[in-house]
Amino acid sequence: MAKKEITVSTESRDKKLRTKDLIFAGAFGAIYIVLMLIVVMAFGMVPVLYILTPLPVGILCATVYELCVLKVHKFGAALILGVLFAVTASSGYLPGFVLAIAAALLAELVIMAGKYKSKKMFLLSYIVFNLNMVCPFTNLYFNRASFMSMATEYYGEDYANGVAALAVSWLPFAQIGLAMAGAAIGVLISSALIRKHFEKAGIM
Amino acid sequence: MELTFYGEDNKGILKFDPRTKFLLFIASGLMSLSSYSDSGAAVYTVVLLAVYALCGKPLSALKSALIFGAVMYLRAVLQNSQGAPPMIVLLVTALTTVFMFGFPSVLSIVILVRTTRISHFLSAFQAMHLPIRMIVPFAVFFRFLPTVAEEWNGVRKAMAFRGMTLSPAEVIRHPLRTVEYVLIPMLFSSMAVMEELAAASMARGMDADTKRSSYEEVRLKAADYVLIVLVFGMTVFAFIMGYSVKGGMNV
Repeated sequence: MAKKEITVSTESRDKKLRTKDLIFAGAFGAIYIVLMLIVVMAFGMVPVLYILTPLPVGILCATVYELCVLKVHKFGAALILGVLFAVTASSGYLPGFVLAIAAALLAELVIMAGKYKSKKMFLLSYIVFNLNMVCPFTNLYFNRASFMSMATEYYGEDYANGVAALAVSWLPFAQIGLAMAGAAIGVLISSALIRKHFEKAGIM
Repeated sequence: MELTFYGEDNKGILKFDPRTKFLLFIASGLMSLSSYSDSGAAVYTVVLLAVYALCGKPLSALKSALIFGAVMYLRAVLQNSQGAPPMIVLLVTALTTVFMFGFPSVLSIVILVRTTRISHFLSAFQAMHLPIRMIVPFAVFFRFLPTVAEEWNGVRKAMAFRGMTLSPAEVIRHPLRTVEYVLIPMLFSSMAVMEELAAASMARGMDADTKRSSYEEVRLKAADYVLIVLVFGMTVFAFIMGYSVKGGMNV
């Protein structure tokens, strides 16, 4: 018994996702989704703000995402978050579902480009990851009639017309821009918050 | 508080498989996106409430039913009222819509969390030969949703204790400060819970690479098949109805 060595802190060497990492990713996923839903519901009341949601979600959820990927520090954390996001927020429309997972994969690639060492790449990956906030809107881009009848049924004529007036042809690009801008602001805030609180506490 | 851990269905008349309950969750999302009518959402919610009651939580199911009924009634009254100011109608319609839109999904998560043991959840999905790396994040995800709500309550109380309120005016005036005050303590305490969960799973040998065996009996029973067929039928019906509604629109 005494011969058996206890291996402590395998984290940095171990590249495989352990159960611990899966638990972290799943739990951060829950926080991320709840926060995102609160923001979307608060903004979703008004058509203009509803279209703008990628911006506030990027600003607010960045910290949760960054903590998750920095804590797990392996391939898979962003992907798991992305899959959880796709299943809960974007599963109603298949292209949106696929694109949401693709965004998460791209974010993983960005982290991979930094070889899982560069903190900058970890931070920057969120700008790609937050593109998944555009995915729930793909229904509006590609399948407009269905989106409109849903909006009319749920929110009434006025709301649907409000959204329709805003759904111009360059809307996807505007939303992609919003998502990236929101994520960029969020990344700045989160890196400041992480430095101020989490690194000081020795968690990272 | 009672939501913290996965519950059990010992008192239930019927015991549904975790996979069936997971299917309910997926179907809820699809239903709220593709059923274009209040009645469709209402019928689906009634089915969910029945499942909730049959799983051994009749009182909670009744409570949810009363809340849902009240909101639907408000919605129906408002849509047919003539004299109400349009601004209020618009606002209440939007609020009740968000409620109606989210209720089935939230209810299906509550059913899953409150009537399923976590070991049952894991073994049921392992029986489908899904890799454990895929199952664990989902199991933790569902288990953590109530924890997030609880931590949020804790943070809110702690803030109130120190004389900081979360009134809308305050949030709008200091958005960044609010985010920092709410998010950071919530993340800190959540991370403590995650560490505990990870330690507990280590103690149960979840990290071993061997295939896990289980005492749980994993088998889809007649009740599961009935529910699966029912929910599948309703979702397909909602899709078809949705398309026919869409065909009639000139957008």
